[in-house]
Amino acid sequence: MFRLILSLAYKNAFLRRSRALLLIVMIAVSMSMMLALEGLYDGMTASMVEKTKRSDSGEVSIYAKEFRQERTIQENIKDAKKIQEELLLRKDVKSVSLRLQADGLCATAKKSSFATLIGIELEDEQGFGDFSEFLETGSLTLRGHKTVVGKELAKDLKLKIGSKVIFSTQDMSGEITAVALRVSAIVQTNNIALDKGTMYVNRELLRKLLQMPKNSATQIAIRSDNTRLAQELSAQYPDLDVKSFLALYPMMEQMQEITVIFNSITFFIVMLVVFIGIMGVTYVSVLERVREFGVMRSLGMPYSAIKSQILFEALFVAMVGYILGAFFGFSALYYLENYGLDLKEFADGLESFGYASVLYADMKYDYFITSFAAIFIASVLSVLLPLRRLRKMSVIEATKLQI
Amino acid sequence: MFALALRNILFYKSRSLTTFFLTFFAALFFILYVALMDGSHNSMLQNSLKVYTGAIEVYKKGYREEGGNEYLLDDVGKIEEKLQSIPNIQAFTSRYETYGLLSFKERSSAAMIAGVDPQKEEQLSQLKEALFLGEYLKESDANCLYMGAELAKRLKVSISDEVSFIGSASDNSFAADIFKVCGLFQTGDYGFDGNWGFVAKNYFDTLMYSHDKASYVSIRLQNLEDVETTQEQILSALHNTKLEVLSWKELMHTMVEAMEVDSIFGYISITLFFVVIFFVIMIFTFLNLSARVREFGTLASIGLSRRNISKLLFYEMFILSSTALLLATPIAAATAYYFSLYPIVIEGMSETYKQYGIISDELPLSFDVFTIAWNVAVIYGLNFLSLLYPLRYINSFTPLEALRHV
Repeated sequence: MFRLILSLAYKNAFLRRSRALLLIVMIAVSMSMMLALEGLYDGMTASMVEKTKRSDSGEVSIYAKEFRQERTIQENIKDAKKIQEELLLRKDVKSVSLRLQADGLCATAKKSSFATLIGIELEDEQGFGDFSEFLETGSLTLRGHKTVVGKELAKDLKLKIGSKVIFSTQDMSGEITAVALRVSAIVQTNNIALDKGTMYVNRELLRKLLQMPKNSATQIAIRSDNTRLAQELSAQYPDLDVKSFLALYPMMEQMQEITVIFNSITFFIVMLVVFIGIMGVTYVSVLERVREFGVMRSLGMPYSAIKSQILFEALFVAMVGYILGAFFGFSALYYLENYGLDLKEFADGLESFGYASVLYADMKYDYFITSFAAIFIASVLSVLLPLRRLRKMSVIEATKLQI
Repeated sequence: MFALALRNILFYKSRSLTTFFLTFFAALFFILYVALMDGSHNSMLQNSLKVYTGAIEVYKKGYREEGGNEYLLDDVGKIEEKLQSIPNIQAFTSRYETYGLLSFKERSSAAMIAGVDPQKEEQLSQLKEALFLGEYLKESDANCLYMGAELAKRLKVSISDEVSFIGSASDNSFAADIFKVCGLFQTGDYGFDGNWGFVAKNYFDTLMYSHDKASYVSIRLQNLEDVETTQEQILSALHNTKLEVLSWKELMHTMVEAMEVDSIFGYISITLFFVVIFFVIMIFTFLNLSARVREFGTLASIGLSRRNISKLLFYEMFILSSTALLLATPIAAATAYYFSLYPIVIEGMSETYKQYGIISDELPLSFDVFTIAWNVAVIYGLNFLSLLYPLRYINSFTPLEALRHV
């Protein structure tokens, strides 16, 4: 019996080819577009979050209590090296980077700009966030008085590889101090604050320039998968300011939330309209065949079997649409994930928002599962109204009905 | 024919209601979505223009690219004289800007110090309105410094404190002075409030040896729409190949580009909705027409041409679309108009997005009749487009085939 129902449903589902085709195309086109958009938006946000973590905060950052408010080097972590060693002993910590930073004035012979000089160890940064991947031009070295400059700052000051820049700031005793640096590389981290106003130098060079004590740092950045690490470290180091990534960048959390909300609303509206489409087709298809169902029932076929047949008809068409949509959606996502969407023409605008000029999508298998569930539910719900209409009719009424 | 179309609409209720509601909600959503997108972009641009950037600025070629004292404007008086004759110019002022180091007690900070004409700035920028503490600059003020509240916070200075300034004068000599903090401003633009300070230009010119010199001349227009025409008028009035006249579109190129990208993504997102709605309208039209094949066969056999049948269906779609749009457009337009006057306020938005130059918690909608008109035209176009395939299907039958159709 079940095989008979399936066979009848399959034949009837595609009996009216044009309407079945329209429905399939609608589901396939809307689903593939929705998947591509969802993946692209998620990819944009995920890339921004990932690059911010890699270039700056990690999952957790530690500062001296007042550093983030005062932005002065007097507010530094005195025994940073010891803390780094302690952190590296933890199994849940992947890497730790110590940084020194000082705000000041960066000047060439013709132009000046505000800048932050960050003292780093290139080797640590490479382990921390694959720093070399940020390289735009030049060679990544901080030997001697070499400096690596953020792309927007370099653009602003017209800096090229080999350009000389003077950085002036205040040292620990409050005296004005300056250092001449030569640009060895230009980097683009897609972290707006860093790209617009940061120069990197060797940490030891900056420490000496600022006359800061050995083993001190203004920031300890940590990479870890432990989501409770910030709370644990806050308890371990109560005299320090321990902040999670989202506490440091609340905007990123909002952006992620906005993306989720936007994608959910899009998904809901698209599925609602798809549901209306499937329901329309099923409704008409059932009404056209009321007499046929009346004859089937008078021949002894139970109502439940007719109900199953109608449900399978809707599911067959919807699933063909889903398979095509999933195929085209997967293809679009695969392309966007590997080759990206090239928007170099709008590079300046995108970079000002912290995005790369080539946008890559993020492919999550959840997209396909939720789409499947939504289309399945939409198909099941779409048959309820036609079935209700059919159920209200007696076998004789149905058999005599003229449409 | 029109009456017949109307009767058909009333007879085939489910198709009519679906088309009506989908068109209604699509139009409402589209108009409000575009109004919100344009409104937020306009607000960002206007806020930036209002704070300090001019609608047009005149530079010596090379100043923006190379910088340095050799690219300062000379004979500013003559340039200003020529600008007076251009009709669309509402106000203009020359500014001298230089980076320097400000120090107070044990704290120092790099800052952008600008010599400005306090009175003229009142007409051109929001400097005076942004007064937060103390008082705004006066022309007679000598060493008064009007500085950003964030910069003051960083240096830990307050009104009447004296800060030392070190910089380089226009002749590349060393320039140093003591400024007295007279006022603090807060525009909401984090970068501006944290890095800028202003001094009366008369006084600053003496310190920097910059009499009749300026970094650029900033211009405010009566009508911002005519920016390109005015730009050309200024160029021809100045008649100097060493000068360049840049409009806000070039001055804020990055922001303009960022908004273009944002709009592109906005339109891509909305296209998704339209594609789905378009298909559903098409499916319902197709279902309706395929159920009426015999009716069309009868109409054809009593003498109605294919053209007449197409006209009938066109009328049906026209009535349905127009009714939905006539209802949706005023509602959407009124909502857009209301929120253009009384913007949506999202508390804390400017604080969260200050890095992006967002300086207000207000999110206004844009009310533009032309934009609403093309939004409506798009929906109309899509509805008529959705008629094509069903129409082609109907026209594929001969009258005899249509009469026998089951």
